[in-house]
Amino acid sequence: MTGEKKINIVLAGQGNAGKSSVFNYLTGLHQHIGNWAGKTIEKREGTLFYKGYTIDVFDLPGIYSLTTYSVEEIISREFIVQQKPDFVINVIDSTNLERSLIFTLQLLELECPIILALNMLDLAKKKGITIDFNKLQSIINAPVIPTVASRGKGLANIIDKVIELKEKKPDHGINRYGKEIENCIEQLTAFLQDINLPYPARFIAVKLLEKDSDITKLVLGKKPEILEKSRQLCGNLEEIHGQDSSVVIADERSHLAAQITREIEKITKKKEISLSDRLDAITTHKIIGYFVMILILGGMFISVFSFGNWFSSWLGTIFKDWSDWWNSNVGNTFFASLGWAAIESVLSLVQIALPYILPFYIILYFLEDWGYIARISFLMDHLMHRMGIHGKGCIPFIIGFGCNVPGCLACRIMESKRERFITALLVTFIPCSAISVIIFGLVGKYVSILWAMGLYLFAIILVYIAGWLSSKIVGGEPVELIMQMPDYKTPHLKTIHYQTWDALKEFIFIAAPVVVISGIIIQAINLAGWMQAISSFLSPVTVNWLGLPAITGILLIFGILRKELILVMLAAFLGTTNFSDVLTSQQMITLAIVSMFYVPCVATISVLWKEFGWKKTLTICILETLGAILLAGLIKRILDFVF
Amino acid sequence: MDNKQGITSLADIKDGQSGIIVSILGGRILTKRLSDLGLNSGTEVKIIGRTLFSGPIQIEVSGSRLVIGEGLASKIIVQPK
Repeated sequence: MTGEKKINIVLAGQGNAGKSSVFNYLTGLHQHIGNWAGKTIEKREGTLFYKGYTIDVFDLPGIYSLTTYSVEEIISREFIVQQKPDFVINVIDSTNLERSLIFTLQLLELECPIILALNMLDLAKKKGITIDFNKLQSIINAPVIPTVASRGKGLANIIDKVIELKEKKPDHGINRYGKEIENCIEQLTAFLQDINLPYPARFIAVKLLEKDSDITKLVLGKKPEILEKSRQLCGNLEEIHGQDSSVVIADERSHLAAQITREIEKITKKKEISLSDRLDAITTHKIIGYFVMILILGGMFISVFSFGNWFSSWLGTIFKDWSDWWNSNVGNTFFASLGWAAIESVLSLVQIALPYILPFYIILYFLEDWGYIARISFLMDHLMHRMGIHGKGCIPFIIGFGCNVPGCLACRIMESKRERFITALLVTFIPCSAISVIIFGLVGKYVSILWAMGLYLFAIILVYIAGWLSSKIVGGEPVELIMQMPDYKTPHLKTIHYQTWDALKEFIFIAAPVVVISGIIIQAINLAGWMQAISSFLSPVTVNWLGLPAITGILLIFGILRKELILVMLAAFLGTTNFSDVLTSQQMITLAIVSMFYVPCVATISVLWKEFGWKKTLTICILETLGAILLAGLIKRILDFVF
Repeated sequence: MDNKQGITSLADIKDGQSGIIVSILGGRILTKRLSDLGLNSGTEVKIIGRTLFSGPIQIEVSGSRLVIGEGLASKIIVQPK
């Protein structure tokens, strides 16, 4: 009986339509809400209990079209036809009705039950747009529900509608193309009736005429003779229209969307110059825009550093006497000191990493929610082209400053395989917050803030050179930038709060166990007296070539787990966080450089593996390790003259 | 007002000026992609601004903003208004 009370719904829509807000509101699962097109990359799942029903909600990536172009679109289309959800909730950006409807028309072709959520109605109102819902409802023959997802308005109505229509799913109207196209579709569907693919026959026919490569492949495996027929029909269409058949169909579809929009949308007041427009004029200005960007990003890093420094030393004074307390109350037997090693690792993590990571995430999510990150992509596009990728590559880069793992995952917003690989490769050179902990906590604190900034600059130059080199090696032309520019909006504090908390939680849950385990292991190795052996084994590299204390060999091995362990373990092992007692300035800089560029951390390696396969991943790891050791050794020799 | 009435590429019209798309010189995938974003022949496009050198162009299409690369803009043929 329980099965009857279960409903599956899927959220689909174009990037920036507010799908993630709908999802968060419905499921209470606070996931990432982006402010750029196509941000949500992974399929997210949540459950809602409502009026005795268990409703599973799936969030699909933001997509523009169901004709495959990027990975997200293939995922979405396959998901809808294979999982056969009870309803697809098409979240629509009301301020962009015409463009949104192009996607809606394609969803209708999939012949799945849909409900339209006309979202961001408040913004549409501000722009003077009024929409006739009833008319839209009767044109497409699907329920249309007005919503303002950011404030939860209208979302309960969607679910009520889902429950109401659960038993008698509506039969939607299907968009009709022009006569010649309909004729072709009809001829093809006749052959497609018994093809046994999960897609509707009409959908397959349309996609064949659009020369969709995935569908073509599917048909080739079942009934290759149909392809001959479709090629001939495409040829006919092309002869009549003088354009590629896919363009003919896309054109008709968008004209249909434009026509519907004209019928239901009224723009009453002339758009006045809004604050967003004025702000945009400054922040995307040819010259001023770059100064603003440097100011904002520079301000971001300076405030992260100064806050982190203050917070870190404040925490230091709190934890100061804990070690003595442990020794006098628990003792310093073998197990007691293992226990203390575990506690101290956590304390060091809290004291060294948290103070820098917390403000970084708050500021990053503030900029993202505000809409500024898309402006950076716009401003940086030209420069990024030199690295063989376009401006959107900035997004993984900036995320990479927080953590390389989501940075590498964000590379999926790049359109081609080539761009995804180059971008991910470059992200591994970006100093993540863990590496920033080393840069700021070691070099920034004990050498000088200028040197710390210099290391950042060095990393950026290296990214640039690596990008230029890898685009030469990988070859191919960079894909051109096409991106939606979101309006500036008042950052939603709750969203920033959730995003920061999520990122922090993830960081703590991934980091803490690794830190505790490695803290115990390193202490056990130490107590067993093996430290010397491992250190001296690695000493030709660490001591002779890099001029570092032998202990760093072990630290660099643990650093593969998480980079900040290098510093955390250094503190734990030396029993002090005052590193200037044990390391000279050039040693700190050399250690920072090795830590920045040698093998990526395990979490990043696992993402690279998943995305690009083990061959490329292994190549990256080996090349980066050798390169970093070589580079740091050379720089050490230069630094010998400086200090 | 500009006197020139001849068609030109989107990359060649000035900031603040509008044009109506006449055709798109590109392959199937590109045309499709632009079409999904609402850029078809017959659509009116307004140039909002661009970055230094040969950077990307910010445009306004049916009330919303898009950013497109310079090379792409040069493949979009428009009739200036």
